[in-house]
Amino acid sequence: MQRLLLFVDKVSTWVGHAFSFLIVGLTLLISWEVFSRYALDNPHAWAFDVMIMMYGTMFMMAGAYTLAKSGHVRGDVLYGFFRPRTQATIDLVLYIAFFVPGVFALTYAGYFYAAESWAINEHSSITAEGPPVYQFKTVIPIAGAILLAQGIVEIIRCAICIKQGYWPSREEDVEEVDVDKLKEMVHVKDEDIKQLDKLVVRQEQGR
Amino acid sequence: MKIRKELWFGFSLMAIILITVVVLTPWSHLTDAHLSREDLGVLGLLMLALIVVAIMLGFPTAFTLMGMGMFFGWLAYRSVNPELATRQILDLMVQRAYSVMSNDVLIAIPLFVFMGYLVERAALIERLFKSLHLALTRIPGSLAVATIVTCAIFATATGIVGAVVTLMGLLAFPAMLRAGYNIQLSAGAVTAGGCLGILIPPSVLLIVYGATAGVSVVQLYAGAFFPGFMLAALYVGYVIVLAKLKPKLAPPLSEAEQKIDLPPFARALGKRGRNAVAALSRAVAGKAGAGVPKRTVVAQFMVSLLPALAILALLGVTYQVATAPAVEASTAGLVEAGGAVAADVKEEAAGLVGQLTPEEEEAGAKGAPSDEAKASTSAPTAEAPKPASAPESPAAAKVAEGPSASQPGPAAEPERLPVPIWFWIVFAIGVAAILAIYLAWTWERLEVFKMLLTSFFPLAILILAVLGSIVFGLATPTEAAAVGAFGGFVLAAIYRYIDHSRTAKTRGRGSALATTVKDLGSIVKDSSFLTAKTSAMVCWLFVGSSIFSASFALLGGQEIINKWVLSLDMTPVQFMILAQFIIFILGWPLEWTEIIVIFMPIFIPLLPHFNIDPLFFGLLVALNLQTAFLSPPVAMAAFYLKGVSPPHVTLNQIFGGMMPFMGIQLVALVLLYVFPGIGLWLPQVLYK
Repeated sequence: MQRLLLFVDKVSTWVGHAFSFLIVGLTLLISWEVFSRYALDNPHAWAFDVMIMMYGTMFMMAGAYTLAKSGHVRGDVLYGFFRPRTQATIDLVLYIAFFVPGVFALTYAGYFYAAESWAINEHSSITAEGPPVYQFKTVIPIAGAILLAQGIVEIIRCAICIKQGYWPSREEDVEEVDVDKLKEMVHVKDEDIKQLDKLVVRQEQGR
Repeated sequence: MKIRKELWFGFSLMAIILITVVVLTPWSHLTDAHLSREDLGVLGLLMLALIVVAIMLGFPTAFTLMGMGMFFGWLAYRSVNPELATRQILDLMVQRAYSVMSNDVLIAIPLFVFMGYLVERAALIERLFKSLHLALTRIPGSLAVATIVTCAIFATATGIVGAVVTLMGLLAFPAMLRAGYNIQLSAGAVTAGGCLGILIPPSVLLIVYGATAGVSVVQLYAGAFFPGFMLAALYVGYVIVLAKLKPKLAPPLSEAEQKIDLPPFARALGKRGRNAVAALSRAVAGKAGAGVPKRTVVAQFMVSLLPALAILALLGVTYQVATAPAVEASTAGLVEAGGAVAADVKEEAAGLVGQLTPEEEEAGAKGAPSDEAKASTSAPTAEAPKPASAPESPAAAKVAEGPSASQPGPAAEPERLPVPIWFWIVFAIGVAAILAIYLAWTWERLEVFKMLLTSFFPLAILILAVLGSIVFGLATPTEAAAVGAFGGFVLAAIYRYIDHSRTAKTRGRGSALATTVKDLGSIVKDSSFLTAKTSAMVCWLFVGSSIFSASFALLGGQEIINKWVLSLDMTPVQFMILAQFIIFILGWPLEWTEIIVIFMPIFIPLLPHFNIDPLFFGLLVALNLQTAFLSPPVAMAAFYLKGVSPPHVTLNQIFGGMMPFMGIQLVALVLLYVFPGIGLWLPQVLYK
């Protein structure tokens, strides 16, 4: 079971990682476009549409990845105080009540939305003869499906946690605030902090 | 089962809300599918109450909003036409999702976030703090002041509160404690400073607000500029006053700590006089000696000249603006400015700044051709800078225009305006500043300036270039963000290379380059992953909330709130205070993303009734939400600092240190409210 969970995690993460490189492309594309417009006097009409598509695709496809790394923002007022079992129960109920219907509806509706767009061979109307948008709309059902799969994995996780009393493990990933990495970056070692602690104690006693 | 106090409080609050919901729900009407307008409105309010409960339970907010929005939206549609309801709500959901996907305001978020991660990983915060600390030694409480200034600049460029507080907790916090600073004061300076990035543009918060409220992000950036700096200045002022009044809290640094190591050439030349400029200019003039190579002397002299060139360039631009008749180029002011900037670019060590600011290079490039053009048509180039410095400049400009008027091209060029008096005042101040700088230009100052040149100025110029191009309408926020991200990448590349070539001196340049490239690869990879996660978090929240707010509008909940608030018959001031108070309270349990995305759509429609500018409201909210980071129990900044501070520093000490700074935030909020000009002046001047 755990292996299956980690496999789905891996798929979501892989997809998220793959699509996250779109931000590099987006940065380069816009930088080039700015340069091309101001310095070469050669703006491209398709650039705006492509930018929007890169941005939209990136964040939609990263949704499941973010869920797999529990990166979606939570109201952390009480949640942190709960014991794992309580946390899992609440999550389980709310996943079934809100997440599954919501994301399923989005995926289902997205499928027909995209199918319609394919059927009429839709092109962007922002500029004349804009690039096609049907592939961009197809992102909605695909991202939704991956997200739904990841959500089901999370539901199973909740169930496991209710059963065993602690959360099953997750794969490691880059952290926004990786203290060890930051320590290395500014050349601070743990001993320095320990030494400093003595100083703090002395200061406290000096009062 | 033992339940803690906090839980009791939370649960009883939820129970109250849930009971209200159950009592007020029009159950009997729900079954027969035809709800009246009032019932629907009540349902809308219930939805709002339920969402508060659901958020407090801690489920990912984006999906709570999506699911609840769908369910209540379906109810609303069903009351009109039961057969179409399912289809309609599905269409609504997918259209809302697509509108977030193709939102041309939100697209700037991943780019700014990406820029932030890249700058954070450029590893320049250590230099930045050290150089600022040395530059500010004379000021009371200098370490705390340097901490706040470092935070302000670094947080502005990165906008990531957690990383900034952690890094400063590792760098500045120990430094302050070692210097005998009070623990509370040190903790407060680090946490409060780290949160400044939320307000000072380019901040993600303002983009999110702009996208939610439909306010131009450009105007928000222009407006938040001065309030942000006012807040930073208030922090600095507080620290200085406190250090002056109670030196025990922030003792001045000892002589040894203030001392700056001079390189050998400076010590050699230093024997000839304390003033670096005088000694260097003498050395440049020929009497080089003391075993110092001429190249070093000339290089140092050029570096010393940079402030003067910068001030002259500024004066040139001011002259240009003061006398500009129209948008015409090719005038003395621009030539001078362009020339100075071009010189500036050339002199930067390793072209550091030059690469960062395409604007500057452009300005330089523009300056050069116009320079040539002028030389060919009228006056020789050598005379070009003259008009700016000579009092008879209008006449001179006219004379210079004379011959060119006979040319077919610029014949229609309008006359320059006469130079206003204030320009001469500014000019005098500028010249006085140059004199003052060079009279005090000791060898130590030269060293400090060189350190600032490699840490402070690149970052400051990156920020100003990004902001300037947005505010002056040269680029959209998206474009500026992309170029800024590219600049962040260049910064990271340069700083990593310098670091590696310093440590890997023995192995040669090739290996330093190889490690840099490898490093950059992992930096870009990590940054992209983090960017994807952060933007997915914000943008999925947007998807959820836009479905939610559409349903809320369908149910007519907004109308009820509007009616209710209007029936209270409040004055605009009362409304403003109430709104800010609610946001302040919400800031305790919730994060700013949730507050803006969920609750702003409720406040915004009320603003026109009270004649409140949404732009001004946004600035107040941004300032207000600063407190969300510093108010316990969810004060993220405190926990980040606690994570890296010595074990004997308690959370209570950190909270205690944050309190005065929270007070300052409230003062700033009141100041901004009483003097709206602080925020609104710049947008009004720029976009009249």
